[in-house]
Amino acid sequence: MVNNRFMVADNERFKTLSGGCQCGAVRFRIYGELEKAGICHCRMCQKAFGNFGVALVSVAAAQVEWTRGAAAVFRSSSIVARGFCAACGTPLFMREDGDPHYEIAIGSLDNPNAIGAMTEQSGIESKVAWFDAMATLPTQRTSDYRTAGELQRLKSLQHPDHDTEHWP
Amino acid sequence: MTGKTPVTGGCQCGAVRYVISGALENPHICHCRMCQKAFGNYFAALVGTKKVDLKWSKGEPGFFRSSSIAARGFCRDCGTPLSIADDDSDKIAVAIGSLDHPEVTMPAHQYGIESRMPAFERLHELPGTRTEDDIPAEMLAKLKSRQHPDGD
Repeated sequence: MVNNRFMVADNERFKTLSGGCQCGAVRFRIYGELEKAGICHCRMCQKAFGNFGVALVSVAAAQVEWTRGAAAVFRSSSIVARGFCAACGTPLFMREDGDPHYEIAIGSLDNPNAIGAMTEQSGIESKVAWFDAMATLPTQRTSDYRTAGELQRLKSLQHPDHDTEHWP
Repeated sequence: MTGKTPVTGGCQCGAVRYVISGALENPHICHCRMCQKAFGNYFAALVGTKKVDLKWSKGEPGFFRSSSIAARGFCRDCGTPLSIADDDSDKIAVAIGSLDHPEVTMPAHQYGIESRMPAFERLHELPGTRTEDDIPAEMLAKLKSRQHPDGD
């Protein structure tokens, strides 16, 4: 059972999307249509995101507005810049020199389900062997493994999944 | 699936490096909305160890307190998400992708499935390409990695 909180009607897909880092120091908006979306397994994306199977969506840079703060940039190679939040670390984008697009980190969108269908996997030379079976692993909801006491004490300090006038 | 120790890892730029000298525990992926946003991805892939068994061998991560009970470590210079630990736990989890050899462990569990994205189950069915087939030859010739090598 998935959480429908982030689901939107399909026609919402082409409207404004917002996103940002975990702490809310860097926020952005995307106006208009998104281009291809996929996951990348390459070793550079693995290390940059501390993860494997990194979800990215291509968006023309002219359609992206940085509405709060600015991403810090690390040049991971001679041809690629990667944007992240210097205050909390969230990876936000990668961009090849000369490419008029950002590859935006899908998990940084306030509504990551709004991107629609993913169409490709890239960097499969570094794909980890267990990736294909991940969805079959046993599952638990957060409320199943956090104790009642922990849940009571847990106060999220994550920026909400929408734009805010002031934060925190 | 806990592999041999010590295992090493670090961020993309190499400013922060770590060594884990104890056993790796509870390798898993987490779909919770906090991990999604912290990692900028569908899910986080994490493996635990005892806090006393993890040594920051080069540099120190920045820490962001994502909630009242947990802190997340990351590299201030390149952003790589590195760790998460509850304040009152003797355990810390590191991001599997930040290990020099992520294949030493294998997730055995999915947490936070209340936020699991519907597309997740089908990701592995998407058509795939290798990096060298994706990048034009003239770009490939210019590409010089600035990523820290996968070892100390």
